[in-house]
Amino acid sequence: MKIFRIGAAALLLLAAVAAAQSPAERTVVIDPGHGGLETGAKGRFGNLEKDITLSISLKLKALIEKEMGFEVVLTRDRDLDVPMETRSAIANNHKAALFISIHANGAVQKKAAGSETFFLSLNATDEETRRLAYLENNSTELQSRIDPSTDNDLMMILWDMAQNAYIKQSSRLAELVQGELDAMLGTRNRGIKQAPFKVLTGVACPAILVEAAFISNPDEEQKLASDAFQTKVAEAIYRGLVRYLRTGE
Amino acid sequence: MTAKKRRKGKITGPALVLSGLALVLLVLVIVFFSGGGGEKVKHFVDANIPKSPETPGGRPATRTVTLFFAAEDDDLLHKETREVLAGPTEADEAERALAELVRGSESGLLSPLPPQTRVRQVFIAKDGLATVDLSRDVAEGFTYGSTSELAAVYAVVDTLVYNFKSVKKVVLTVEGAERETLGGHVDLTRAFFPDYGLVAK
Repeated sequence: MKIFRIGAAALLLLAAVAAAQSPAERTVVIDPGHGGLETGAKGRFGNLEKDITLSISLKLKALIEKEMGFEVVLTRDRDLDVPMETRSAIANNHKAALFISIHANGAVQKKAAGSETFFLSLNATDEETRRLAYLENNSTELQSRIDPSTDNDLMMILWDMAQNAYIKQSSRLAELVQGELDAMLGTRNRGIKQAPFKVLTGVACPAILVEAAFISNPDEEQKLASDAFQTKVAEAIYRGLVRYLRTGE
Repeated sequence: MTAKKRRKGKITGPALVLSGLALVLLVLVIVFFSGGGGEKVKHFVDANIPKSPETPGGRPATRTVTLFFAAEDDDLLHKETREVLAGPTEADEAERALAELVRGSESGLLSPLPPQTRVRQVFIAKDGLATVDLSRDVAEGFTYGSTSELAAVYAVVDTLVYNFKSVKKVVLTVEGAERETLGGHVDLTRAFFPDYGLVAK
């Protein structure tokens, strides 16, 4: 029964995906990591992850609006607590074309350094994985058989799994953004990785989480706090987005 | 009272027996009232008189567990073995293994968990899902970044699945309740399978 419900939810999701891809104006949602009481990682010189993520996000927003003519929505534009599900809901309600979550990294190793870009790992059961593989191969045939009446439980399962339908696109987006970060920042390239990050699970569009540098590393903390480095990070992410959109979705 | 009065006078045989009995009673009463909650007593018994099998030499049996720590020079998890008391159940052993993980490395590796974290309980269900309940210190003891949060979660998950046959996947709870993340990154609402890709070869 549960399997059936997950299957049904995935079908609904595919319908939602199809509906969301209308050509009208396009929106990029930028998510400045953490905020409010939830400070994120902390540097030795007192810099907080939440402040750095907001600065970089505002710079990226300005760049995209100026250069691409996309609408940009931030999940927060101030020092504010924003629950995880609100962040993904903002993306889904705006029918976002892309979702970029911006973070500064922290590790127990003081020497840890560099940039990396994450996309969601499929932390799913075998049964769910099998269902999704089937749906990927049979989506057009199945879209016509969806019952439009949905209950709340089903919707919860639907959004809980939303990102699973976009893993391939998210992986490509991560690769292109990380390539630009590597080219521009002159710091260690930690590559693209998959992880079960909460903020990505419910997002119904290609979604990545960028770790610009390590705030736990004193050298990188000072870089992260500087306007010049923040601008470079924003510029690199912007270039990655442009390459992603130009080379087809 | 009676015993005291009699003690002042001549001490007879029966009086001695009676006073002895009264003393025993008094001790019992004191133990009863000062013992506190049943939980405390149970914990005391649990920690010091394990119902585990004993070796022929009379020493309690132990088993070797492999713990996963961080290292200064890379972002991988590194193995370190440790002896913990064996039995009676895998859940008991799992609690001890995680307590050792929190206690830290004996060979200079870095601890991926805040040192003040307490392992409140490990429950292993028949379907192989282990629920690990940790004290709030696991979330409040560090300000996590993505890398340290992944290390904390997978140190626990890998330690359990690697050592205990009955554990296939792991859910983390904090103070007995579900929690979204430890520090704003890794999704705790779903069960984790181990990720040995993070482990040094």
